[in-house]
Amino acid sequence: MGRKSLKGKDSAPVNKTRHIQVDSSDSEYEGFVDERSPASAKASGKASSDLKSGKKKVSFESLKTGRKTSFETPAAKGDWGKGGKDFNAGKAGGKGSLPQATAVKPRLTEIELKLELELPKNARLLMDCEAAEILQEIEEHKTILSEDPKVKFPESFNKVLQYTKFGGHYINSQSARKVLETLKINGVNDGEICMIGNICPETVEEVYALLPSLKANKHKNEGPIREVLASLAKVKSSK
Amino acid sequence: MFFHITLERNMQLHPRHFGPHLREKLVAKLMKDVEGTCSGRHGFVVAITNVEDIGKGLIREGTGFVTFPVKYQCVAFRPFKGEILEAVVTMVNKMGFFAEAGPVQIFVSNHLIPDDMEFQSGDMPNYTTSDGSVKIQKDSEVRLKIIGTRVDATEIFCIGTIKDDFLGVINDPGAAS
Repeated sequence: MGRKSLKGKDSAPVNKTRHIQVDSSDSEYEGFVDERSPASAKASGKASSDLKSGKKKVSFESLKTGRKTSFETPAAKGDWGKGGKDFNAGKAGGKGSLPQATAVKPRLTEIELKLELELPKNARLLMDCEAAEILQEIEEHKTILSEDPKVKFPESFNKVLQYTKFGGHYINSQSARKVLETLKINGVNDGEICMIGNICPETVEEVYALLPSLKANKHKNEGPIREVLASLAKVKSSK
Repeated sequence: MFFHITLERNMQLHPRHFGPHLREKLVAKLMKDVEGTCSGRHGFVVAITNVEDIGKGLIREGTGFVTFPVKYQCVAFRPFKGEILEAVVTMVNKMGFFAEAGPVQIFVSNHLIPDDMEFQSGDMPNYTTSDGSVKIQKDSEVRLKIIGTRVDATEIFCIGTIKDDFLGVINDPGAAS
């Protein structure tokens, strides 16, 4: 079972001021001692899955003081049994997974846009204007269907329809989509294309400010983006 | 962001619905069960666009209900971190303001509102710049960036910011900074 220290820093033998509970059962992490706050129960649920896989995420002090040092790792390596049963503070144990999230912060936008690739392969990203057209069609069908009292549709549908129309910048969505598709060759992914379509930026600077992930290929895509913005301006409806 | 996705679901139907309109009943039940719900994976299901396929029904032992695997396509909405959205302000208070973008509620904390905007209480609480040129109040349209999301069974809740460039109140189609 791998024992990873979070930041790789070995601290001196730890001052065990907090009381330690060693759980004898490997599977029951939820039954650990301190339910200090409701948040901790949730957070520890997260940590418990990591521990089940045998990883060690012990940086309690770091979170309290805001530093990112690993704490108790040598102790953890030696003393605890198999799967890291040190849950002296459920809060801390759970938050052991958090420092990883903050370390990744600067690259968040890139990662988020790449998250879309995690969607099932048959998912097709829609711009707001395209979604508006689809929902409009559905609404027309539903008005026919709604004569049947058994058919109801959720209130949220109207809210969403209104929202898509609110962002209705283009005369029609096909022309906008056609223009934006040309960016695909320059390494702009689907998510970024949709965002450009939704935001309707005026200048290239705006695009780079709002989509920092595009900056990586600035030398490649600046010209095409400029052209696309000019073409989109022609397709915009006067609002 | 919106997307069009194919999903599959096992629908259970009571034998009393069997008859010539079985398919319609199944589709109606599917719509009732799925539209307006949320999930972590695909977010908020707005509407079903079409039912692709209904598989053969399997009778469940003991109960007599029949399970049909249904494949359908729908429009879903899911906010992503880092996404830029335009939302309408619904409530303003000294902790920040709430805005709505479709089915999604977004909260912008006062820490993520530019420092030059101050909270003004009153009949219409609002955030205003020191020179009074920009105001955020109920029903204002703002462009914001999502920095965190939480998905529930029935709704999606986000945290947003307007502290970056090109974010904030939308006065005209062009000026948002």
